[in-house]
Amino acid sequence: MTKLLIALALLAASLLPGPAFAQDAAGGNTLYKALGEKTGITQIVDNFVGRMVADPRISPMFKNTKLPNLKEQLTDQFCVLSGGPCKYEGDSMKASHKDLGITKANFNMAVEHLQLAMDGTGVAFRDQNRLLALLAPMNRDIITK
Amino acid sequence: MVHTKFISVRLRTGALLLASVLGSLACSPTWAETGKLLLTGGVSSMDGAAGGGLTPWAMIGSNATDGELGASAYLARTSTKDYALTGYGAAVGLHNRLEVSLARQDFNASPAVGLNAIAPFGVAPHQHIKMDVLGLKLRVAGDAVLDSDSWMPQIALGLEYKDVRPGSLRSVLNFLGTKTHGTDFYVSATKLLLAQSVLVNGTLRSTNANQNGLLGFGSGAPGRNSRSWEPEFSVALLLSKSWAVGAEYRFKPNNLEALGAAAGLGPALREQDWKDIFVAWAPNKNTSLTLAWVDLGQIVPGITGFRKQSGFYLSGQVAF
Repeated sequence: MTKLLIALALLAASLLPGPAFAQDAAGGNTLYKALGEKTGITQIVDNFVGRMVADPRISPMFKNTKLPNLKEQLTDQFCVLSGGPCKYEGDSMKASHKDLGITKANFNMAVEHLQLAMDGTGVAFRDQNRLLALLAPMNRDIITK
Repeated sequence: MVHTKFISVRLRTGALLLASVLGSLACSPTWAETGKLLLTGGVSSMDGAAGGGLTPWAMIGSNATDGELGASAYLARTSTKDYALTGYGAAVGLHNRLEVSLARQDFNASPAVGLNAIAPFGVAPHQHIKMDVLGLKLRVAGDAVLDSDSWMPQIALGLEYKDVRPGSLRSVLNFLGTKTHGTDFYVSATKLLLAQSVLVNGTLRSTNANQNGLLGFGSGAPGRNSRSWEPEFSVALLLSKSWAVGAEYRFKPNNLEALGAAAGLGPALREQDWKDIFVAWAPNKNTSLTLAWVDLGQIVPGITGFRKQSGFYLSGQVAF
């Protein structure tokens, strides 16, 4: 019992610092590399947006969206978040999602499409989760319903 | 007796209700769209609530997230050196807020016939102990998955009402001064450390159950009849979207050993902590299989040669 508790404590300690606080300068660059840098991110986003507009459950939300514009903004955003040398100049998450009536289920559907898009370019599961950890808190601005 | 029968009828009505809810859900168009991420809802714990194998988590069971209804069902089998436990049940998740679960356990207590050598208890050979568990769980704060920029876990309050039918072991439970029904209350905190692909859970349970309730609730031993707070821990490492490995540790009360010692039986009635290591596999969103190596410690060691009750646990779940 004691041994197991020590193991648990060690495991917990090894996780520190747990939550991903937006910009992690040390690890950031590595994530950018893990995503395949600008080329990889562009591919991921292309695939991600393609999957979402092909999904009848969420495609109506993109009917007034200029897709090339969206792809460019997402690429910049993922690049910045992962520590890449980019600049995000798009709208805030709150402003760009406020009239879309997105539910938590819709949000999770998008996450699944992003996971599949990253599977498609061969991003490792643990690296996928590092990006998702940076994106997930945005649910507070994106989910309005 | 009357009380037990009443509860049993009530549970049966509950099962029917659950079945009809499941039936009506199956026709609902929201069915296939229920949107939780794979393996983030846990599996069915042995008492029916969503969680690990031994302990409930703060997750609300089924694939349903906010604004959705979902349901799950499971079948589990545990085999240790001297005992075996079969369990099955179902749970309904409402709006990712409330979970209602029902579980039925069938515990093969064959070694208990050895108790007749201690006193004329009249324990029948191959006696099984059956237990029903009605669970309620309410998510009160947090989102274990999406709040990945803070330490705030998902927190839930829960209860498990347990009703045990010991058959010919009733005379033994009477001798021990234990009741055949009881309620556990618990608070669970679960956090997915998404960037690390690690899930941690801590549960604090107020209980007076002996061996999870299979040996009744409370004890005739002086000072051993009250509830205690018992911590339970789970850690899971997510290896991929469909594979997770982990470990659990569940502290247990030990309210019967003193009674056995007072009767000159030494540690014959000792109860010990439970632990397991597990691997879970979710080939798709609706199906998961969990295989665990469990160590349930000694269970009434006086009739099992003080052997440690370790063995395999296999559980399958479908969820919508």
